[in-house]
Amino acid sequence: MPDTMTFYGQDYGSRILLGTARYESPVLLLEAIETAQPALLTVALRKQIQGGSQAGQSFWSILRSANRPLLPNTAGCNSAKEAVNTALMAREAFETDLIKLEVIGDEANLQPDPFGLLEAAAYLVKRGFKVLPYCTEDLILCRRLLDVGCEVLMPWAAPIGTGQGPRNPKALRELRDRLPDVPLIVDAGLGLPSHACQVMEWGFDGILVNTAVSRAIDPVRMAMAFAGAVQAGRGGFLAGPMPVQEFAVPSTPDIGRPFWDEAHRFMPQEIA
Amino acid sequence: MPLNVNGNPLPMPEPPTLENLLRLVQPQRPYAVARNEEFVPSSAYAKCKLVDGDRIEIVHPSAGG
Repeated sequence: MPDTMTFYGQDYGSRILLGTARYESPVLLLEAIETAQPALLTVALRKQIQGGSQAGQSFWSILRSANRPLLPNTAGCNSAKEAVNTALMAREAFETDLIKLEVIGDEANLQPDPFGLLEAAAYLVKRGFKVLPYCTEDLILCRRLLDVGCEVLMPWAAPIGTGQGPRNPKALRELRDRLPDVPLIVDAGLGLPSHACQVMEWGFDGILVNTAVSRAIDPVRMAMAFAGAVQAGRGGFLAGPMPVQEFAVPSTPDIGRPFWDEAHRFMPQEIA
Repeated sequence: MPLNVNGNPLPMPEPPTLENLLRLVQPQRPYAVARNEEFVPSSAYAKCKLVDGDRIEIVHPSAGG
């Protein structure tokens, strides 16, 4: 049976969601997409600056040539009202019910506003949206988001664009343990393939990564590294890690070792 | 100026509907529109009457994370 990630009735063969921002060139973006084979590509809506209409059109052409499902975001919204209206515009422009819902509560660390997020999520789910909320790892917030109809959650690892990796590993793992059947995608703050591998080993269902790939010296190679890391971490989780021990346990059996017998187990005579 | 479109002043179209404004501006597709920070679905452009001081925002696909 294929190991797929499923939410809102859709199976995804890939466990990577890839952002499209901050690439040096469209060619690098397309190559990174081709390499990472993401389940979804995150995109945004912006006003075109004067004289920049060609750039907007070419970005749309690039997206179309990438031929991957799109996940529009509400990045930068500071209230439920802004996020809801951005989501409504995104649904019309991108012709998808999927929305990565961001309601930002703090300008310095771009931390999600849990209250605005919940309000916007409840409104949008009622209007047929498939909401992927960018949230903190707070268990109660996550439960409330599920209560209003979210089928997948995207807790942060660290503030957006920092590349710090999981800041609060215990809380993230606890969230995973407490919501074992909910698709959880770690979004924001991953900087290295090892961060992705780590959260996948903990049993998270997928990751969303942007800056770590797009701002790498070689984004295409980094896209490949993240893809490998996600696969390795997922494999490690599915394989079932060994329990951690307090003391050393020899992997090579002592029985039959030369110069050793049961009688001398704790009394090496050479020293005496 | 009667209208503010993506931060730029524009004269009011005649008759003053969003549909007429978009006919003049001719934004590249795909796009979506908000009037005074409220989404206006494309099905409502024709009946969306504009008044002096309206802020119209026209948005397009853009890179995002």
